[in-house]
Amino acid sequence: MGFWWLALKDALLMGRDRKALLTLVFMPILLIGILGAAFGNMMGEEEVASIEKFQVGIVNLDEGELGNALAEEVFMKGLPELISAEAMTQKELEDRLKQQKLSVGIILPRDFSDHIIMGGESEVKVISIPSASIQSSIVENVVLQFTQSAAVNVIAMEAAGPSEMIKAIPAMSQFTDADINIVEEAAVERDQKPVGSFQYYAAGMGVMFLLMTVITGVSAMIDEKEQDVYNRLLVTKLTDFHYLIGKFIGLLFMSSIQFLIIIIGTRYLYDVRWGESMTGVILLGFSFVFSVCGLGVLLGTLVKTEKTFNAAGMLATQIMAAVGGSMVPLYIFPDWVNTVVKVLPNALALQTFLELMSGANLWQVLIEAGILVAIGLGSLLIAFVSLSAKRRAYYA
Amino acid sequence: MGVLEVKQLTKRFKDFEAVKKVSFSVQKGESFGLLGPNGAGKTTTIQMITGLFPPSSGSIEIAGIDMVRQPKRGQGLLGIVPQEIALYQTMSARENLSFWGRMYGLSGDHLQKRINDVLEIIGLADRAKEKVETFSGGMKRRVNIGAAILHNPELLIMDEPTVGIDPQSRSHILETVKKLNGEGMTVIYTSHYMEEVEYLCEKIGIMDQGEFIASGTISQLRETIGDRSRIVMNFSGAVELERIKSILTSEISEKDLLMNHNELAIFHKEPQKILSELIQSVTGAGFEIASVEIVEPNLESVFLHLTGRSLRD
Ligand SMILES: Nc1ncnc2c1ncn2[C@@H]1O[C@H](COP(=O)(O)OP(=O)(O)O)[C@@H](O)[C@H]1O
Ligand SMILES: [Mg+2]
Repeated sequence: MGFWWLALKDALLMGRDRKALLTLVFMPILLIGILGAAFGNMMGEEEVASIEKFQVGIVNLDEGELGNALAEEVFMKGLPELISAEAMTQKELEDRLKQQKLSVGIILPRDFSDHIIMGGESEVKVISIPSASIQSSIVENVVLQFTQSAAVNVIAMEAAGPSEMIKAIPAMSQFTDADINIVEEAAVERDQKPVGSFQYYAAGMGVMFLLMTVITGVSAMIDEKEQDVYNRLLVTKLTDFHYLIGKFIGLLFMSSIQFLIIIIGTRYLYDVRWGESMTGVILLGFSFVFSVCGLGVLLGTLVKTEKTFNAAGMLATQIMAAVGGSMVPLYIFPDWVNTVVKVLPNALALQTFLELMSGANLWQVLIEAGILVAIGLGSLLIAFVSLSAKRRAYYA
Repeated sequence: MGVLEVKQLTKRFKDFEAVKKVSFSVQKGESFGLLGPNGAGKTTTIQMITGLFPPSSGSIEIAGIDMVRQPKRGQGLLGIVPQEIALYQTMSARENLSFWGRMYGLSGDHLQKRINDVLEIIGLADRAKEKVETFSGGMKRRVNIGAAILHNPELLIMDEPTVGIDPQSRSHILETVKKLNGEGMTVIYTSHYMEEVEYLCEKIGIMDQGEFIASGTISQLRETIGDRSRIVMNFSGAVELERIKSILTSEISEKDLLMNHNELAIFHKEPQKILSELIQSVTGAGFEIASVEIVEPNLESVFLHLTGRSLRD
């Protein structure tokens, strides 16, 4: 059947895209690790040694606040187990790199904060010695994550007005500042196990990364539509229906792998307990992945050009993740807000993961899993109907 | 019955008519050429035939299947070489062939055998494992063709398959197509290179500005210019071709005198006989001739005679 091969081809292409692969596999573990480090002694020293620590030199020319936040909160304080960061001048940085005393250096430009606040791309230079390509990719990704979260927060601040400013701290530094005790308190109810903050963020970040993976897959799908291969694909024997199913399976495959990596990685690297019922966790995870992949294929069918999609998609993901509890603990919102946001699959999934963590069993999450699967199937159906309606209108 | 029957095919993009009432048919085993300058409407015609989008009006039948109503039924019978290189650049030649073969329903040993055969045909057996993005333009074009012939299509449709490549790859491609056609595959070949179509095709449709302006075998098309040769004169310095034309109208009828850019084309059955006379009249009037060439009757002449423009314009 053609659709299997379409799915396999998509997985193959993604597997060969180094940047996509890094986002897919490594970033979630890394970020959850960052959080863990920030929360203090949650990891044993030996386990950390598996990710080798490396040196980063930072030249901060930024005249605004965000450069400091990135340099000090994230690089210097946020990742003590992974990165040892040091501020220096550009000259020093160049010398040390030349002498191979540093693996990676970054230079934050004068207008770094301005660019994030006013919008537009700021040009952060990441320089590395040839043997440190993985390390430089990690640094690049951390910077990218920081600028995206910061940009979202700036937008949120503008929308909320000045009085809300304090609440909307840039996401990264908020991870490092967050107060561990309150999180624990919030999740504890009678007869239930407490959900630690590390567990909370493992689930929250995991859910967010799955959203981002799907967005990456969907932009690849839209990107393909603008390429010559797409027209060729349309005139083969592959039907519209098989095309959608193929795209869906490809997405499902990649995000399921990521989901498994997140679960297994956090379990064994950081000892995160996802709950008593592993079947429940797997079922819920796959239902969540199923729902967002369905939504993703629907988006990929409706959206015409990649340019508009990528920016909007990433922004929407961050906003969904933020209101869904991946960045700010849900307890700070009133109960009714938490109920309302459950219309978002990521919020529903996160809240149900937390239930599993505090001891719920398979049967108690069946309804949520069912709803997620239904969302996925519904989206697929709408995608198919809209695609064939488009065709019919075309051929009428 | 023909493998392909196209009737009154028309395509409007908003208020622009890209293809206007085109009709033709292609018989089994034939090679049909679609010749026309850039923008003539060749690709649009091909895309409608392959069912990529429907015509605004008109009908297309492939082996009796209505391509407007049921494109998916007919598409399995077609091998399509798009004008652009439609391949996955980060996959190898073999992986691309394997993927496209599967999109036409091939699988298993048969697919592997076909991939090996096709790699031989396109002369890339020794580079099969390399990524397409590392290939030269000519090699990419060959893979682009390979992906269309894996399933031994009933009808092979090629849209300008030799654009922008080196002469060696070009002649390799032309020979490959000639061979496939010789082995019985029906071929539709579009090009704006007259030589390619003359070399490959028994029947030719000449397209210009969305219309078929002539069609038939090469000899039939030559007949439309009375099988006459063409004298092409170039002049040194800026000259008023209108004046030269008026000098010559005493000897040649006006409709056989054509100007294109700085060239003057004169259609005549026996060019040798009148050549010296013509040169005398022109130089006698004070014009300096830079070059004179006699071109045997060809499709370029047909196009020029019909449109007053050359194919490459
Ligand atoms: N999608 C489209 N929308 C509007 N005009 C188009 C579209 N596709 C082609 N055209 C126009 O139709 C004409 C014929 O194009 P095309 O079929 O590509 O010619 P050819 O293949 O002979 O070079 C051109 O003028 C082109 O600009
Ligand atoms: Mg064309």
